[in-house]
Amino acid sequence: MSEPVVSIRDLSYRYRGQRTFALEGINLTLNRGEFMMLMGPSEAGKSTLAATINGLIPHFHLGKLSGDVEVMDRNTRDFSVAQMAEIVGMVFQDFEAQLFSTNVELEVAFGPENFAVPREEIKVRIDENLNYVGLDAFRNRPPSTLSGGQKQKLAIASVLALKPQVLVMDEPTTDLDPISKMGVFEITHRLCKREDLTLLMVEHETEEALFADRIALIKEGQLVKIGPTREILCDVDLLESLGVMPLGIPKLFKAAGVPDLPLTPDEGVEKFTVSGLKINDLAYQQMVDEEKAALQLKDAPLIQCEHLCHTYKGEVEALKDVSLEIHRGEMVAIIGQNGSGKTTLAKHFNGLLLPTEGEIFVNGKPTRDQGIFKLGQSVGYVFQNPDHQIFSEKVFDEVAFSPRLRKFSEEEVNQRVAEALEAVGLTGQEEEDPFTLTKSGRQRVAVAAVLASNPDVLILDEPTTGLDYREQRSMMNMVRRLNENGSTIIFITHHMWVVAEYAKRAFVMKDGDIILEGTTREVFSEGDILRDAFLRPPHFVEFSYRLGYTFLTPEEMIACLEGVHN
Amino acid sequence: MDAEIYIDNNSFIHRLDPRVKIIIFLLTFVAILLFQNPLWMLPIAVLILAQLVISGALVNMRRIRYILIVLTVSSMVLWNLFATGETQLFWRISAESLSFAVARTMLMILMISAGMILITSTRNEELVNGMIRLGMPYRVGFAISTALRLVPTIVSSTITISQAQRSRGLDLESGNLLDRVKKFLPLLVPVFISTIRSTNIFGMALESKGFGARDKRTFYLVFQMNTADYVVLAFATVFMLASIYLAILGYGQIEGLIRF
Repeated sequence: MSEPVVSIRDLSYRYRGQRTFALEGINLTLNRGEFMMLMGPSEAGKSTLAATINGLIPHFHLGKLSGDVEVMDRNTRDFSVAQMAEIVGMVFQDFEAQLFSTNVELEVAFGPENFAVPREEIKVRIDENLNYVGLDAFRNRPPSTLSGGQKQKLAIASVLALKPQVLVMDEPTTDLDPISKMGVFEITHRLCKREDLTLLMVEHETEEALFADRIALIKEGQLVKIGPTREILCDVDLLESLGVMPLGIPKLFKAAGVPDLPLTPDEGVEKFTVSGLKINDLAYQQMVDEEKAALQLKDAPLIQCEHLCHTYKGEVEALKDVSLEIHRGEMVAIIGQNGSGKTTLAKHFNGLLLPTEGEIFVNGKPTRDQGIFKLGQSVGYVFQNPDHQIFSEKVFDEVAFSPRLRKFSEEEVNQRVAEALEAVGLTGQEEEDPFTLTKSGRQRVAVAAVLASNPDVLILDEPTTGLDYREQRSMMNMVRRLNENGSTIIFITHHMWVVAEYAKRAFVMKDGDIILEGTTREVFSEGDILRDAFLRPPHFVEFSYRLGYTFLTPEEMIACLEGVHN
Repeated sequence: MDAEIYIDNNSFIHRLDPRVKIIIFLLTFVAILLFQNPLWMLPIAVLILAQLVISGALVNMRRIRYILIVLTVSSMVLWNLFATGETQLFWRISAESLSFAVARTMLMILMISAGMILITSTRNEELVNGMIRLGMPYRVGFAISTALRLVPTIVSSTITISQAQRSRGLDLESGNLLDRVKKFLPLLVPVFISTIRSTNIFGMALESKGFGARDKRTFYLVFQMNTADYVVLAFATVFMLASIYLAILGYGQIEGLIRF
């Protein structure tokens, strides 16, 4: 019954110019129709392993390869990437760079054209696959006008048009907003039911792993464990030690000492009742009250928007009548889909954009009168992609850029850089080339570069995107420390668990308007409004709703738990 | 994204066969080069202007207006210095050199316009496809289309990068020339690096979809020459032949022009 489609034997690989092996002694077999999820920390070799399956390694990336990769009896050594494309499809993380046509239909046609498929057949495949991913209505649109999620769906359709036996997806949803993630996952849920297609997906979203047949865990180029999904997901400690986010529900029950860990909210609710666990209402109420009391101590607002509107080029209404107040020392999250106006709003805080109607005050003065150069000193803005701002050859120079521009003395510059690097945990790496650092390292450099001008307010646009769980935690822990030391923090994110664990207050945006605001717990207790904005609370929060509470983290719930078997 | 050059407005010119558009583009180049006298260049200039209006390429010309102004000014100055004639007007400028400079400037602007009309009205794939059907190797055609495709990507990443650096205190508007040139480094490096990164993924995606897997490939796009295509092509040919005939007879030159 289980017919091997991909077999990897004793595979080791080293990138050219690198001393360490990116992959070492990998043995892995994928069977027909199987859905395997590949998980592990950043730089563990997930993408490298994915790239060996269609021959990008060793043909595109040069390096030293030993061992064999065979797909349907084709050894990747003997076939070019293009030849492998018939049987192995590949979807990449970067949805912009993998599309090259000016029209949706032609994008899907590109693959079959290369294999000289007759025109009539190409037409059939275009119809079939656009229909499959739900892009029928967009067939004559240029891909550049599509949203990120639609682009990724198009990439999937264009690969499926080659009728591959194996589909490899390398972090297909990492750069997407929640609604787009759901759209792509909805397609993978259908794909994994297909008997003829073998699916290998690299993904950070542990909740999605529930759909996989097996999970392979990889670390430092070696497979740590391969096993059935349930077995791996129940091993909370192993996941945590590998820097993979464990599910909240098994984590809670493990801490409560319950055997046979449940995984999903349904299972969790059932287990909760069966095991005789109970929430101490008094403790819960006390926690909620303390939280509210902490937010009562407010002085004058630091940032104040009054009926703020922004219209791009007189056409696109990006912000509609937004009013809000953010106080000194707060840590707030702005959440919503792409295009809901989050970034447009945040760019008003440091004067990059000026309102087309309404008014915004920072420190009591309209931003219009302050200008970006001056305002930039008190309001720091860390852009989403650190590669959009790093340009120096040394970490020190990169961080010193802003203080030097502001004509501080060399002594003062040194001191500020030292402080900023210490805050982000990069002390001692002043002489490193920022481009050789990992994504999380570059993200830290970008934060330090902004911190160096000693801003009162720090805006972070998706600081955790593209990082693994451990890096996300350490990034946010660092941001929290900055907040505790007096900085006001505003962050935009798509990661709901980051909001749940780190934000004290949250704004939910939809179509250029704030539709919900309050303490993080208040916001998360409005499950229906969140779902209406296509934001999905983590499984764990959903599980707590079902018990009649809003708990944001397993730790909180454990603290309020009665009847724990120890 | 509005960084795109192609404008999808389905004009008469958009609907022409891309092969016809490429041939007209090449013929236009020859026609522009035939005459030295700006008056004799007027007919082709009028035709090009008409195409600019019909195809909607004027919008794109507006976008590059600063480049056009710089080119116009510098070409008017330079060609006056590099040529002279009998009818002295003032300083080093003669009637002949002036009309020569006007003609050279027209030549440049008209060539840019012709190119702009082509890429405003022709999709990337149509352009490549047309070139291939006119005999160009597929890989060369694809390389050209890829280069064109990179333009909007680079423009949009430049916008983001300049916002990021301005947030850090970079002020591009002040300082002397040398200062300003130095200030572009924080923009150029990230633009360069992010372009290289995305080109790398582009290459991988290209091969992963079987680029060059077979010697022969099919084309989903098919073109058909319609009556309009034949009429346009015939008109262009006649116009061309007439122009060449007149040029050979010696019309359209500037009498008494001395070039250095």
